Amino acid sequence: MSEVLESLFVLGTSHHATPLEVRERFALTQSQALELQKLLHQHEGIRECLVLNTCNRLEIYGLADCIERVEEIRGLFCDKQNVSEELFNQYAYSHSNLETLQHVLEVSAGLDSQMVGETEILGQLKQAYAAAHDTECTGKVLNRLFEKSFQAAKEARTQTGISRGQVSIGNVVVDLASRIFGKLNGSRVLLLGSGEVSEKTAQALKSRGVGDITVSSRTFENAHKLAHSLGGAAIHFEDFNAQLEHFDIIICSTAAPITLLHKEVIALTMKQRPERPCFLIDLAMPRDVDSAVEEVENVYLYNLDDLSSIANENLEARKAEIEKVREILNKHAWNLWLQLRRRELMRKA
Amino acid sequence: MFNEITITDGTAFKVAAAVYGGAFLFALVVLLMRRAYSRTIMFALLCGGFLIQTLALNLRGAEIKACPLGNPFEIAQFLAWSLVLLFFIIGPAFRLRLLGGFTAGLATILSAGSFIIPSWDRAYPPGIFGGNHWIELHAALAIFSYGFFAILSLVSIMFLIQQHGLKTKQFKGIYRYLPSLQQLDLMAKRLLLTGVIVLTASLAFGAVFWVSNFELVPVYKLTATCLIWLGYLTVLILRIQEKLATRRHAIATIALFALAIASLWAVESARESVEPPAQGAPIQTER
Repeated sequence: MSEVLESLFVLGTSHHATPLEVRERFALTQSQALELQKLLHQHEGIRECLVLNTCNRLEIYGLADCIERVEEIRGLFCDKQNVSEELFNQYAYSHSNLETLQHVLEVSAGLDSQMVGETEILGQLKQAYAAAHDTECTGKVLNRLFEKSFQAAKEARTQTGISRGQVSIGNVVVDLASRIFGKLNGSRVLLLGSGEVSEKTAQALKSRGVGDITVSSRTFENAHKLAHSLGGAAIHFEDFNAQLEHFDIIICSTAAPITLLHKEVIALTMKQRPERPCFLIDLAMPRDVDSAVEEVENVYLYNLDDLSSIANENLEARKAEIEKVREILNKHAWNLWLQLRRRELMRKA
Repeated sequence: MFNEITITDGTAFKVAAAVYGGAFLFALVVLLMRRAYSRTIMFALLCGGFLIQTLALNLRGAEIKACPLGNPFEIAQFLAWSLVLLFFIIGPAFRLRLLGGFTAGLATILSAGSFIIPSWDRAYPPGIFGGNHWIELHAALAIFSYGFFAILSLVSIMFLIQQHGLKTKQFKGIYRYLPSLQQLDLMAKRLLLTGVIVLTASLAFGAVFWVSNFELVPVYKLTATCLIWLGYLTVLILRIQEKLATRRHAIATIALFALAIASLWAVESARESVEPPAQGAPIQTER
């Protein structure tokens, strides 16, 4: 039996068991994470290591000369972060050997993410691996482990529906906007109100190429501030009605107790732009857009409930794929485990 | 060259229809599994069907020594061929998702459907165009413009499906893979313009013959053709004036294509009943 592989481990905390306020206490900046990685690598008995630090998880992957080193790493981390070991132990988990392989494969495939199947984690994992590889903190075992995990994640995504459909409101809006307009770089967006969800939605649209964002809010200062952060312009709330025809995507999230956009106004607007569709997103409660607007030709109205139900259905569809993904990942984990064991035995022989 | 080929035109037409059918079934099955089909496989299948159909049309053309457009069967086959040819031009350039599947569907209906009524492939005297190349060019261009209108109607159907999905808030299955409304609408506009130009050119070439031989041109054929041309021209003008856009434009182009196909059938049926082959004239062998 190989002693080296017996001490392959992962130690960490994640959103599954650790509340946000506790995660904040464990959180590291990127430079602190690199510093910790270097420190661990210099620690006696740690042959290879990698620190994965995201907003939802902090994980230390390592290969040590004996499994007892994990306890030393706990102490080292707590000392460095100035948190009590009791608190860390209360929320931390650790896995060794085959379980470590299975864990890293599930993380890279997005199975362990808050939004099941999300792909951002794979990018973060690749970044962490590149940083560890560049500083020679990883060696033959972790290199093989992470490279295989990236392959397995890709296979799981292409062979199952684990990443299909969007699961956040912002991305659902981007998806719908793409179904209407195709490429979004020519689309003009109007934000009515400066709510948090509408801001995130605008950011999601911006990340997909929307360059022209205008904000209008009852308080012009708020509109100006948000417009500035989004790289757009602000217009006075009294003026937005007269300029509706210029916008392709209108996101409403005001706190107005009455309806702001009526069917007649939108019908008139659409007469001025008969060939360009209009995508209305009503995130306000009570609603800002009269539901009769839906009847206007070439207008697509979605409210918060519509978007949430799409996001939830997509999430359910992804969850239904978990077992299929696990099957693929387990196969990869076993193969990798056997490969590593075989390699270790050959090295010894 | 075609004498050395042992396959008959009829068999080649059947094989081509089967390949188009296979391509359509492939798209349908993959979409029912809620996945996007491989464009490469679709392109290869359509390519296969197209090559076999080209061979069949060549064999038929060599036999009648003219462009094979003499009966409803040949018109349907030529229309399916034009449709697939246009897909090869438009598909890779504009990368409209699912257009290949829809093209395969319509090509199957046209090429396989033309076998349903055997009398459509009726025999007719050779030299149907009287050796007049202008008329031959007119007929080929007219059917080619119908190829544009066929692909336009497919794009319009895709537009209506996507719009229905967005209006009724559906996002799974086929809706996920269809191109965007704007893409489809823009493509429809371009296809309409090109189709009208080709049909106008076809009518202009035809007019060279009509002007000098007006008594030889059946009135019902001239009326139907001009009405279809006027219909498409009206839709184009209304579209340019932004008076007919998006949904209504899509419905108008689908309705016009249905009318165009119906008029072809009506014209051919009328010609068959009015102009029986002259006695003693060399008649093409029954297929």
